[in-house]
Amino acid sequence: MPKRTDIHKILVIGSGPIVIGQACEFDYSGTQACESLKNLGYEVVLVNSNPATIMTDPGVADRTYVEPITPEFVTKVIERERPDALLPNMGGQTGLNCAIDLDEAGVLERYGVEVIGCNVDSIRVGEDRKLFANAMHEIGLEICRSGFAYSVADAEHIVASLGFPVIIRPSFTLGGAGGGIAYDMDELRHIVAQGLDLSQNGEVLVEESIQGWKEIEMEVMRDAAGNGIVICSIENFDPMGVHTGDSITVAPAQTLSDVELQRLRDYSLAILEKVGVATGGSNVQFAVNPDDGRVIVVEMNPRVSRSSALASKATGFPIAKVAAQLACGLTLDEITNDITRATPACFEPSIDYCVVKVPRFAFEKFKGTSDVLSTRMKAVGEVMAIGSTFEESFNKAMRSLEIGENMLGADDPSLFDEDHFRERVSVPTPERIFYVVEALRRNWKIDEIHELTGIDEWYLSRLADLVAIERWLSDRRLSALNAAEMLAVKQAGFSDEQIAHFVQATEGEVRAVRRALGVTPRIKTVDTCGGEFPARTAYHYKTYETGPSERRETDKPRAMILSAGPNRIGQGIEFDYCCVHAAYALHDKGYETVMVNCNPETVSTDYDTSDRLYFEPLTFEDVLDIVDVEAPEGVICSLGGQTPINLADRLLKAGVPIMGTQPEAIDLAEDRDRFSSLLDELGIAYPTSDVAETYEDALRVARRVGFPLLVRPSYVLGGRGMAIVYDPDHLKSYMEEATRVSKDHPVYLDAFLDSAVELDVDALADGDECYVGSVLEQIEEAGIHSGDSACCMPPYSLAAPMVAEIRETTHKLALAVGVVGALNVQYAVSNGRLYVIELNPRASRTVPFSSKSTGVSLAHMAARIMAGEKIRDLGLPPEDRTFDYFAVKEAVLPFDRFPGSNMTLGPEMKSTGEVMGIAKTFPAAYAKTQLAIAYGLPTEPSDGKVFVSVRDRDKRAVVPLARDLASMGFGLVATIGTAKAIRAAGIECESARRTSEMRPNIGTMVSAGDICLVINIPGGYDTRDDFYKLRALAVRYRVTNATTLSCAQAMVEAIRTARESDIGVVALQDL
Amino acid sequence: MNPLLAKNQDIPRALLVLEDGTSFEGHCAGAAGETFGELVFNTSLSGYQEIVSDPSYAGQIVMFTYPQIGNYGTCAADMQAGSCALAGVVVHDMCRTPNNWQSERSLPELLEEQGVVAIEGVDTRALTLHVREAGCLRAAISTEDLDPAHLLARVKASPSISEHNYVADVSASTRFEAASTAPADASRPTHGVVALDCGEKRGILDGLTAAGLDVTIVPWDTTAEEILALAPEGVFLSNGPGDPRELPEPSETATALIGRVPLFGICLGHQMLSKALGATLEKLPYGHHGGNQPVMNLLSGMVEVTAQNHNYGLDFSTLGPLVPELSGGHATHSADLRFWSERRIAPVVETERFGRVRLTHVNLNDGTPEGIQLLDAPAFSVQYHPEASPGPHDAAYLFEAFRRLIEGAPDYLDIDVREGRRF
Repeated sequence: MPKRTDIHKILVIGSGPIVIGQACEFDYSGTQACESLKNLGYEVVLVNSNPATIMTDPGVADRTYVEPITPEFVTKVIERERPDALLPNMGGQTGLNCAIDLDEAGVLERYGVEVIGCNVDSIRVGEDRKLFANAMHEIGLEICRSGFAYSVADAEHIVASLGFPVIIRPSFTLGGAGGGIAYDMDELRHIVAQGLDLSQNGEVLVEESIQGWKEIEMEVMRDAAGNGIVICSIENFDPMGVHTGDSITVAPAQTLSDVELQRLRDYSLAILEKVGVATGGSNVQFAVNPDDGRVIVVEMNPRVSRSSALASKATGFPIAKVAAQLACGLTLDEITNDITRATPACFEPSIDYCVVKVPRFAFEKFKGTSDVLSTRMKAVGEVMAIGSTFEESFNKAMRSLEIGENMLGADDPSLFDEDHFRERVSVPTPERIFYVVEALRRNWKIDEIHELTGIDEWYLSRLADLVAIERWLSDRRLSALNAAEMLAVKQAGFSDEQIAHFVQATEGEVRAVRRALGVTPRIKTVDTCGGEFPARTAYHYKTYETGPSERRETDKPRAMILSAGPNRIGQGIEFDYCCVHAAYALHDKGYETVMVNCNPETVSTDYDTSDRLYFEPLTFEDVLDIVDVEAPEGVICSLGGQTPINLADRLLKAGVPIMGTQPEAIDLAEDRDRFSSLLDELGIAYPTSDVAETYEDALRVARRVGFPLLVRPSYVLGGRGMAIVYDPDHLKSYMEEATRVSKDHPVYLDAFLDSAVELDVDALADGDECYVGSVLEQIEEAGIHSGDSACCMPPYSLAAPMVAEIRETTHKLALAVGVVGALNVQYAVSNGRLYVIELNPRASRTVPFSSKSTGVSLAHMAARIMAGEKIRDLGLPPEDRTFDYFAVKEAVLPFDRFPGSNMTLGPEMKSTGEVMGIAKTFPAAYAKTQLAIAYGLPTEPSDGKVFVSVRDRDKRAVVPLARDLASMGFGLVATIGTAKAIRAAGIECESARRTSEMRPNIGTMVSAGDICLVINIPGGYDTRDDFYKLRALAVRYRVTNATTLSCAQAMVEAIRTARESDIGVVALQDL
Repeated sequence: MNPLLAKNQDIPRALLVLEDGTSFEGHCAGAAGETFGELVFNTSLSGYQEIVSDPSYAGQIVMFTYPQIGNYGTCAADMQAGSCALAGVVVHDMCRTPNNWQSERSLPELLEEQGVVAIEGVDTRALTLHVREAGCLRAAISTEDLDPAHLLARVKASPSISEHNYVADVSASTRFEAASTAPADASRPTHGVVALDCGEKRGILDGLTAAGLDVTIVPWDTTAEEILALAPEGVFLSNGPGDPRELPEPSETATALIGRVPLFGICLGHQMLSKALGATLEKLPYGHHGGNQPVMNLLSGMVEVTAQNHNYGLDFSTLGPLVPELSGGHATHSADLRFWSERRIAPVVETERFGRVRLTHVNLNDGTPEGIQLLDAPAFSVQYHPEASPGPHDAAYLFEAFRRLIEGAPDYLDIDVREGRRF
């Protein structure tokens, strides 16, 4: 059927901020969807609160609303834009839930909006486990024995018949949030209570455990004519029991026979039909009993997902793009395969390589929480690798992770906990893979490891092969290896660095010998068809083979862009955003762009973002190998965050031309001593600081500079390993740990500017001139990592002369350091004085927000500058122009995923994503961010009471807030001391006991739902415990909470604004 | 297996040489020895056992484009014939330590037992791209003659696939009642059919049985009169190996059967029926071998993802002139048959001897014909493999269509693809 002509304007809902379980894969799919709808001639309206996305770039959709994805705000967008149709299945669970809400509220009917792609009923069947169970039963498929519980008692009753362990899955949550495995009654009660709470309809499924079974995912598509295709099968290396997002996964499935696979294909297509997926992509998960092949349907998602992004990257088949076209009435046979441009999309990709995905975790950021993996996803990112064999892809993926374990534990016996070795092999954690490999090194039998882990013997046999090669290498000297042997080792995926370790040589020596032996990688192509048809798209990977490479030569100059690798806390989608813009900008300038990245969730790894894509690890060896082949005019290292910046110096020394800021300038900015001297020369103030390598050193510094101190290792990413220390004991424990985090670098100690205002500045420099793109004022006070702090553009409290001074200082610094491209400077203003905290000679995390809020695409401009253009020729608006709106960015924190972890904000970054709010006033913009994070902004006294607990020195400042709240009719509750201060000002206020005191206390009130807002500002150490507990409770019960005074002030202003006026929506195109 | 480990385990070295001089070194991955044949590639990700035991590959060396083969081992239940008829196997990496609950032995063990020479360690992607450009070439795998120049000379001297009747090698030698374990709907009456065995896969027998057909297998050179003497309700023309242009007997048999008994042909059987109708067969550049070929049923407009394995095909235009009134008004043949699928038209030609023939199926990748039906006699055939084995089950409805043809349903081919996927 040709495309529909009865609809013209389509509303696409994005997935909102990056959270665990819903990351930038939805930017990738949403961007693809918007572009393909536009190409079909439809007008596209987009709602997404996440500014760090390509999809919210003003050019992607026709009308872009960076607004909260709530029924209220989306309704406002619908009222304004009057779309004909809504495409809900590109924005993850958020998009689907919003569509259901809009449907139930009657909004879709009222405005005549048709849901396309999947209808609301099919969303319900896919998500509501009871409906799903019935549907599966009707088509004769087995699901787990289970029962639905609406209370803890229900759950106990169900378990009586199922027995332990049981899996608990709440209905209608994302990424399996709130689920878990219970082995006993206590765990059952705990997990069920939490799950009931998080479930939108207060329902959890308690089901028999099928732990240890194979977990297989099928990525399936269907069109309106009923044609169905399977894009890819994905097998989990970790068996059932570990969330697929936390599992190592492999595509295609390796251990199923064709009979078994085709059966799953039949089931998958029948499930789509039964659930009622009209068109588009879905993900169906199965458990397969490894002993008899019995199949159980685990779940299905009637939407694009993390797995479909992976499947798209793994096969080259653009699922989201095709799904969007199908939603508009086209059928699969009418859509052309992008890669071959000669065959239709109505086929099943054949791949001739193996794909391995490995999740990346961030447990080191959430001390106190358990790192055991379960059915509740905890990974913050992932890498994918492509190679000719599982072995090669596995090794490539492991080194793509950038977690410092490129040897898989071979080089570091101290990695292993000998006392609990066996337990660490059997219990799934991020480290288990290293224990499994080590167990093989220790000659454990494959059977035994399989018994303990449930990992299929096939995978264990492959790992055993790798260990056999390690052993073989360990008996050799580098000079003894011949070309055939070197090739064979490289075919198993060993890096030069790994080989160097085993033959006791340096990486450089291995590389030199390898090249002298003529062992270099071949370039192969991801072509969707196993080589059957010529590929027109340059989507490449490297592998070690004996045949020729497939690279096409052209006469255009090439520019290579190194992106950011796996998402992690501190380095996420923002950097990928910058690299994508560089690819667009340089392509427009006539370059052939060459993108290198290993993160399957991103837009940068979409094959049509750049002219050539290399899906490869971002290690020195892998990058240099690609440079050898592509011979680019220059390599851009300053847009992908710390990953490529860390490679710049080595690449330059290897003779690779670096575009933009040179490694020398990077070193000047990152070496604290050199940078301090520079600041001294320029007469720019910075907090007193010093370095120390031992506790004794550090204590000497502390005596001189004074407590509190901001301490951190010298090379930092996302503030990893940073802390504010208040006393010698604290300093001691920090120093002990810091030396573990970063062995070769000393620790820096800075005087901590208490109560200062911090600012983030994003700027461009070309060597002659500097342009300040944005000055962002942080809403939290100094001491909280800028990535975790809300901020506002333009600054809402600073005087114009100070902002001018900030710009001036930035100009001076950028030119002195020698930045060519993007830079970011962090400042603090304390007592009217400006201090430089640090300068990053690269694009920062805030570039997307700055670009969107000011309308100047800084990454785009930075790329042009790196390609030789001058700032004066870029046609930029004056940097001191005024704005008639405020844009606020707020961080999104993942504490609900890490029960038990320390939830205070500090200099160590903990957020996973961000949202943006734009409005005429600062409070309205701030209010939007709070709503977008799905913390409700209370507006009516009937929502609950406001709890206030502040430290002594804020007691005076909190009184006006209390008065404001009281005047709006909110009841106040406070701790004894705070209550006294509030009452002294003549405001009525109840008092409540602290969480550490006898119940009932404030904790009971929060869990009972009596409190709608918590203003909880920590004081000294004696009250820290209370602070943590209350914050944890607030997170658990999803009660809005403010932990700094400035944040509380903004919140109260926001409440007033929301009460007094209807907060409107604004399209970026109208700014 | 990684070459380093293969070397350490003293696995013999092997050499692959193509007639154009291309050569790859590797290790033995099946029986040791030497083999000559036509090199083709298969793009299926799984189902290697069904492929190596498919009689249609007689005379051919099969190269798998998926690099790691043998992962889940082999089992007797998945064999498509009693023995492996193919000439040889080329893989990138052969698994000697498979795992699956059904696995009885590894693939290299099966190949060794079956005497199939195989090589691993080959850059199969590079070689696939080469075959894609160069077309089907003669090749040899040897663990004995490791001198490329010497082996090349022998490849050049080896016979082409067209010079030998492989069908005679793989066909049953005597008539017998087939026994299949495939479950059938016992509530329906069965029909007796005769299958002319040119190398029939077990999956086809299962498909026929599941449709409630009792199958009598007869050798490839059985005559029409001998078949009709068995009083079958339908006759099935099977798949098979070799060059169909050099195989007169089955098409002569088909010629004599048309109009006298309902006919259904698959692959070589489709080619035999086409020849019987007077069409010319042509050799495709490198054939279709895999499990992901999109085929549109022009009668339903639905697309089937199909399993295919053929190097030759029907030239549709040689069946006769178009009948414009039954072909959407079009009177001129189009070389690329996607002309018809794009218009959802099933064109009809007038043959010299057998009346009107309709094009029912088209390959959407390259616009080649995939299926025809006679309008003036009960007969139809498809170029691809509805039994899959290996591959997707979309086209399994065709066995039911044969049953419906036997029962006289006029719209026997108009079945929803989804019927074939019922479980």
